[in-house]
Amino acid sequence: MKIVVDQSKCCGHARCNAFAPDLFELDDLGYVAVSEVEVPAGMEEAAQTGAGACPERAITIL
Amino acid sequence: MTIASDPAGLEPTIRYEDLDVPVSAPCARFEEFDKLREQAPAHFGTALGNEFWLITRMAEIRATYQNTDAISNRAVVPHQPDPPYKWIPEMLDPPEHTKWRKLLGPFFAPGAVDRLEPKLRQRFDEIMDDVVDRGRCDYVADVALRFPNTIFMEMMGLPISDADQFQVWQTAILHKGASAPEAAFQAMLEVNDYFAALIAERRRNPREDIVSIASTWRIDGEPVSEEDLHGLCLLLFMAGLDTVAMQLSYSMYHLAANPEDRRRVVEDPALFAPAIEEFLRYYAFVTPGRKVVKDTEIAGCPVKAGQMVWLPLVSANRDPREFPDADKVIIDRKDNRHLAFGAGPHRCLGSHLARRELTIGLTEWHRRIPDYHLDPDVEIREHGGQIGLDNLPLVWNVRG
Repeated sequence: MKIVVDQSKCCGHARCNAFAPDLFELDDLGYVAVSEVEVPAGMEEAAQTGAGACPERAITIL
Repeated sequence: MTIASDPAGLEPTIRYEDLDVPVSAPCARFEEFDKLREQAPAHFGTALGNEFWLITRMAEIRATYQNTDAISNRAVVPHQPDPPYKWIPEMLDPPEHTKWRKLLGPFFAPGAVDRLEPKLRQRFDEIMDDVVDRGRCDYVADVALRFPNTIFMEMMGLPISDADQFQVWQTAILHKGASAPEAAFQAMLEVNDYFAALIAERRRNPREDIVSIASTWRIDGEPVSEEDLHGLCLLLFMAGLDTVAMQLSYSMYHLAANPEDRRRVVEDPALFAPAIEEFLRYYAFVTPGRKVVKDTEIAGCPVKAGQMVWLPLVSANRDPREFPDADKVIIDRKDNRHLAFGAGPHRCLGSHLARRELTIGLTEWHRRIPDYHLDPDVEIREHGGQIGLDNLPLVWNVRG
């Protein structure tokens, strides 16, 4: 499972990080700092929840 | 009632003024938007004679906030398409907006809010110490308005004694803008005078506050102008005081009126996190507008340059196309992608601070006063402009 973030759509809500801080690292201003993340085994649910929290629909799970 | 099915006949069907009447019961205004949303995804209307479109559903509201190509922030209330003021950064468009947000970001980023937390807790404890033994209070005046108000004064390096005057200005500008536009403009001029004096003083004697630091910034190599510093002060004042106070008030209104939800959060405080998100979704009172700068189409309707669009967050947030049981408050709701803080590059700069203030305000109140109820003898009133509660009468038993 892989997380793909469209960083151009990120507006700094930081909701992904609120639900899955280990998967969605933020920069100093609170915008998502990653564009692709391989989801470690056992963290699939956290990845889905974090992606599903984005108000901008900037995150997809492949 | 709607022209969405008849885009050729552009007859106004709604009036902004009619949606902005002075007094009603709690949530009455939200229910107006619910009705309009289920009638059509867009309504054409007038706001003090100016043409505007009310957009009612989540998909179109979100897309419109994200569409910075055709939609501008140079005007943000439907009845004022050519405002004589410029709040910064709210009323800027990219790329200028982006530069300001980068400079302001460090004051409002999650890490900055972590550093502020002890101060937020201390301030809220002081407010609770003041009310806890009273057995009753008007939550709006005695708790909600005092909390963000004093944090704002602190961030701006202003004396707490001026907080009451700020509240008076705030009410005139935010809640009476449509019914008394001259008074609102007058209040804005007075605020401007206050900030002019503040900016001059901070230029002479810089401190650690946001105004002192902003006055040293350069944008595209140019020092920030006096006028832009004013615009920044105005925005921080407009955005920071009323919003958290009203969100706290609606949340407490809900928990007072729904004892079962209150019992659940008191027994399991971990539920405050999803409950706060649900209150943000359901009671999202901010109703921003935008100005159309390029002809476009929204929900199949021909939206023309020069017209305003009105994008009430609550209308998106209560859209049943987006949320199962959208009309119910479900305090442990999953996948709650509400737009209470907006969408697109103008996402509320203070959202992280606001969430922290809401968390502290609600958890600390319930730790000290877990059981309370609405005073049935006092009518609760809701105001228009920027929607909010005028009062929230709470009663509880004082121990000992």
